[in-house]
Amino acid sequence: MARFLLSDGRDIVFEAAAGAERGDVAIFLLGTVFGILLHQRGEIVLHASAVRVDGKAVLFCGSSGAGKSTIAAALAQRGFPVVVDDLCAITLTGAAPLVQPDGRHLKLWAQAIAQLDLAARRGAPVRQRLQKFFVEPAAVLAEPLPLGAVYALREARPPHQAGIERPNVVDAALILRRGAYRPLMVNRLGQKADYFRAATAIANAAGIFHLTRALDFAAMPDVIARLERHWRDIGLMEKAA
Amino acid sequence: MTRTVWLASYPKSGNTWLRMLIANLSANEAPMNINDLPQRGGIASARAPFDYLTLIDSGLLTHDEVDVLRPRVYEELARGAQDDEYDEPAAAPPVRFVKVHDAYTLTPAGEPLLAGRRGADAAIVIVRDPRDIVASLANHAAMSLDEAIAFLSDSQAAFSMRTDRQPSQLRQKLPGWSGHVASWLDQTDLPVHVVRYEDLQADTLGTLRGALAFAGLPASDEAMQRAVAFSGFAQLRDQEQAKGFREAPRPAAPGRFFRRGESGAWREELDAGQAARIEAAHAAMMRRLGYQLTPAPALAMTG
Repeated sequence: MARFLLSDGRDIVFEAAAGAERGDVAIFLLGTVFGILLHQRGEIVLHASAVRVDGKAVLFCGSSGAGKSTIAAALAQRGFPVVVDDLCAITLTGAAPLVQPDGRHLKLWAQAIAQLDLAARRGAPVRQRLQKFFVEPAAVLAEPLPLGAVYALREARPPHQAGIERPNVVDAALILRRGAYRPLMVNRLGQKADYFRAATAIANAAGIFHLTRALDFAAMPDVIARLERHWRDIGLMEKAA
Repeated sequence: MTRTVWLASYPKSGNTWLRMLIANLSANEAPMNINDLPQRGGIASARAPFDYLTLIDSGLLTHDEVDVLRPRVYEELARGAQDDEYDEPAAAPPVRFVKVHDAYTLTPAGEPLLAGRRGADAAIVIVRDPRDIVASLANHAAMSLDEAIAFLSDSQAAFSMRTDRQPSQLRQKLPGWSGHVASWLDQTDLPVHVVRYEDLQADTLGTLRGALAFAGLPASDEAMQRAVAFSGFAQLRDQEQAKGFREAPRPAAPGRFFRRGESGAWREELDAGQAARIEAAHAAMMRRLGYQLTPAPALAMTG
């Protein structure tokens, strides 16, 4: 499709293969390649989608197919607007970890669009040959948001049962390292210690959790209800009067 | 240097049983928990190692585009690359066994999907009477028996081939049972050792010993006897009943993973027409593997 050369976290040189479609090159440039560039810069970059909950960003991390965009889209339907999709850079320089909205469209598979009743906002296919589509966000956010919580998505399969739990410090650090946009980059660039420090800061300021649930659209209402209860418990949302 | 050996089979042919036997070689006190079967390097079609090692989001590629890149992943893993961000094992094992259901095929770029000799040193090919596979597959994939029979004869069949969503695994081509087995037996990149499910059942110890010798992982008789005792079918089934099996089908398919584990149960589960259709479609490969075909009824005497 294309070859990309990234140097010093600053320059991207690319050559499209003969016959490559421009849109195809663009989707990899704006996703994978930008993500790797941020890794080169030494930023804390997570493979995560996020929504806004009462002024804070709540992140859902997971590898490809874990359901990040789907859960963000379902929460957006409940009035929690999408902050970022798929690629999430966290700034740790200030008092609280911050997430910068990316203003981009969600990318969802045809099945998820049908199940979440989003056909009206379905845009162009992400690539001509894929049944994965851009979905227009209901609201576009501009201001950076303080980080409220990080959930690592996990499928409910034995021995893991559905629920939300707070892992110990060591596991929380592993969640963040495995939750990096491209964990191999963190490994090869010798940034494991940076992610460990980030995990400590995020666990203290916000909280790192496992969210375990069935990979099944029928379970989505329960998942959302469970999340809202959890947000009240950890003070992200006001308790119901 | 760790050797890589594929455990190659059509689905529902005893692959997990052999993995369990191998895993239990190092279990001393109690049988290994079925949910502790190593997942890293677990199955060749796992999606996460592909994304991890290539840095590319496989969800943005078509099945064919993923296939073009898959050989690079198997080469890296065979060279000792880790496929995830866990702590690295203290000592590399002498043999890395990797389950694979993909047929032995070429990519659209014309090279072996599994990277030939650069992806592994050898293959243990596990085969099972297709008449017994049918009922097991029907249970596993929530199909009718007739659908399973058609699946076994479909040269275009595959697992994880949907395109309206992202299947949890990479696509695995299963070009009919005969085609699948032939792809492995007839490839010339890797030496092959055939394990028949039926032999594993009739003589577990002897069959395991043969497979381990081929793989270059000799084990003491004591360790093998313990592994056999720890990996009995009832043992696996009871573990699944008690705590579930993470590799079992999703709840949408109500089936259990460890169902009957018998040979010849097809005589009760299939009707004569169903058995005849399987035999007609796969007679040549069944004969090649030593599976007895149903004798044709004697011609009625006339006159």
